[in-house]
Amino acid sequence: MTQLDITVHNDHHRLLLSVSGPINSYTFTDFQEKVYKAIAQADTAVDMEHVTALSSAGIGVIMTAMEDAETTGHGFAIVNPSEVAKLAIDSTGFGDRFPIVKNLKLA
Amino acid sequence: MNAGPESGRGVAAARPRRTEATIVLESRLSSIATFEGFVEGLGFLDAPERDRLTISGGEILDNIVKHAYPVLGDTVVLRASRRRPGGPLLLGFYFRSPAFAAFAAKEAEGSSEPLFDPAHRRWRGIGLAMCRNLARKVSFRPGLRMDRIFLEFGGREGGSKKEAI
Repeated sequence: MTQLDITVHNDHHRLLLSVSGPINSYTFTDFQEKVYKAIAQADTAVDMEHVTALSSAGIGVIMTAMEDAETTGHGFAIVNPSEVAKLAIDSTGFGDRFPIVKNLKLA
Repeated sequence: MNAGPESGRGVAAARPRRTEATIVLESRLSSIATFEGFVEGLGFLDAPERDRLTISGGEILDNIVKHAYPVLGDTVVLRASRRRPGGPLLLGFYFRSPAFAAFAAKEAEGSSEPLFDPAHRRWRGIGLAMCRNLARKVSFRPGLRMDRIFLEFGGREGGSKKEAI
């Protein structure tokens, strides 16, 4: 899969972004735009189950979104990341700082 | 491109065989998608190896595209190889750039801490740290004819000792 697809749903009082495909240097701007827009509006959960690659550019966006969430007072969570997404997050050396949950009920 | 284990007969089949695959990419960000497809098609990798190559190889390719400009010939050759089944895996990048050695030297001297880039509103400087954590060894070898970057992975037979560059 070479294309990044992001769909945004209203899930009760929060926004759920379902991401599928690769988040890399070529595709991350769409991810960046949608995540920042969501976190500015409401609690946000990003479903990464179908992410096929996650680059440092995507990690950098997630880190900024975590800070934006603190600033705005909104919740932010990464839901059920794929193996490659988990590996990318762990490879930063500070993977334990990312708000990862297994399913939406825990977000 | 030669992807997948070689088939052999007789005596040759009994010897451990080198397996490798090569791809030539244009030096541009859109090639990252082609690279990801290349890794996906490598039959001699298991799923964890594929994930490691996808992430770390994508980071290296991204750095070449952004910091090796101009890449002479506008091409980067990638070769994934394993000398024997279950043995260490090597991903090599071969390109010619008058600029990359200076960038690599600066990176080697610089801080490994991520930095916030206010202009692009995101954290940066994480990619090389990710590569170092994913691969056993990351090395850059500038040369007169060719610059080379190698990512070495431990393979499936153990021995995942980390080596720093």
